Amino acid sequence: MSNIVRNTYSVCPECLKKIPAVIVKKQNNYFLEKTCSEHGSFSAVVWRGGHIPMEEWGSYRPPENEKEMPDCPHACGLCSGHLQSTCCVLLEITGRCNLSCPFCFAESGFECDDPSVEELKTYFKHLVEKGNTFVHLSGGEPTVRDDLPDVVAAARDAGCENIQLNSNGIRLGRDRSYTKELADAGLSFVFMQFDGTEDAIYEKLRGKPLFAEKKSAIEACSQELLGVTLVPTVVPGVNDHNIGEIVKFGLDNSPAVRGIHFQPVSYFGRYPDPPADEDRITLPEVLYAIEEQTDARLKISDFLPSRCDHPGCGFHGDFVVLPEGLIKLTRKSSSADNSCCFSDNSAEHIKNRNFVSRRWKRIPSLTIKKDNPGNDFSDMDTFLERVKTHGFTITAMAFQDAYTLDIERLRRCSLHVYKDGKTIPFCSRYLTRC
Amino acid sequence: MKELVLKKTVFSYQGHSFSHDVYTCPQCGKVLIPKELAEGRIAKVEEQLEDK
Repeated sequence: MSNIVRNTYSVCPECLKKIPAVIVKKQNNYFLEKTCSEHGSFSAVVWRGGHIPMEEWGSYRPPENEKEMPDCPHACGLCSGHLQSTCCVLLEITGRCNLSCPFCFAESGFECDDPSVEELKTYFKHLVEKGNTFVHLSGGEPTVRDDLPDVVAAARDAGCENIQLNSNGIRLGRDRSYTKELADAGLSFVFMQFDGTEDAIYEKLRGKPLFAEKKSAIEACSQELLGVTLVPTVVPGVNDHNIGEIVKFGLDNSPAVRGIHFQPVSYFGRYPDPPADEDRITLPEVLYAIEEQTDARLKISDFLPSRCDHPGCGFHGDFVVLPEGLIKLTRKSSSADNSCCFSDNSAEHIKNRNFVSRRWKRIPSLTIKKDNPGNDFSDMDTFLERVKTHGFTITAMAFQDAYTLDIERLRRCSLHVYKDGKTIPFCSRYLTRC
Repeated sequence: MKELVLKKTVFSYQGHSFSHDVYTCPQCGKVLIPKELAEGRIAKVEEQLEDK
């Protein structure tokens, strides 16, 4: 038996034409279903809700009585129908890569001219003028650029307050002087591709064993007090069994590792074959795996839906790592239960960026202090110091592809890609290559 | 009139408890929370405990 949960729009995976779609519940699972007049019907699982029903996750309600839906996703950049303003901006600073992964959202590895530092200066300046001071340097693999320290310095000089590097970490571990140059230039933190704690996982996803390289990269970043967030792409049958070990590895390597950002695999860019439902893992399954594979050290109830985007796009949980054990911080906000990036409220943006920044950055003035087993973490001062140095954040973001795209989710996207003077919602950018 | 005395006091917020030395009335047990503490450490602890 199936029930329609809500109506929305999506695209045809073949021709990318915008078409009506429905979210349908069948037993405990939820599917996005749609029909293209030319290419037929499509169905993709978007939520397996045996442990968390979709209706109980977040409080989002689509706008009502709209005269006309915006031309999503084809009119992207942001239009008047977009419901979220920009929180973070991603810039592709190269298309080149030093890996050739079977899975790659950006289809990296092609030869093309990188934007020059001078061009990037112009982009940074433009972004800062618009109030966008949180940038992700992405690619491709940004560390293939020898002038990346100059790029970081250009971002800093333009006024970017948080400069994040998205990297596979290979060069960071091998070339320590390069890592130091990046830190000296003003890099804030590193989002490091990290798919698991077993070489077999990397051989399947990245074409070669890389676990030792990842550990070396984390060590290199730690030496320079660059906070590292581990970013696993979770692929069923490849590394979904390893989620608990990834969490354990991250916690064991605090404060060098500041958090984990799980990304359930999505099928855009480059992937081996068109996806079947068994090729997908959904957010509640990741949450359940965290609880089950950590023997309930962390629980589903320790996490909340994303407030920066649509609740179906992600979750987050905040913790403090103690010499023995954890403090669980995630509690509902004291403010109204609305989104942190809803509307152009700059105060909310700044609050959110500061929140993210203090979670992901290392704190130089405190990190030299040793653990003292006798510390009383219920003492306010000791707690405040510990949360700064050993805060640990576990988040997830479920990107959408042409099969799963739900325009109601797309309209709530706050992670945008800067391209040709426009800011484009992330999934829209990699869906259409617009 | 009795003088206030410094005493370790437990504060609870969002399901967590924290302690700090504050001046307390030895007779009735009421505590004095100075403005600097309320706007300083206590506000910082609240900020850390609240969701963004």
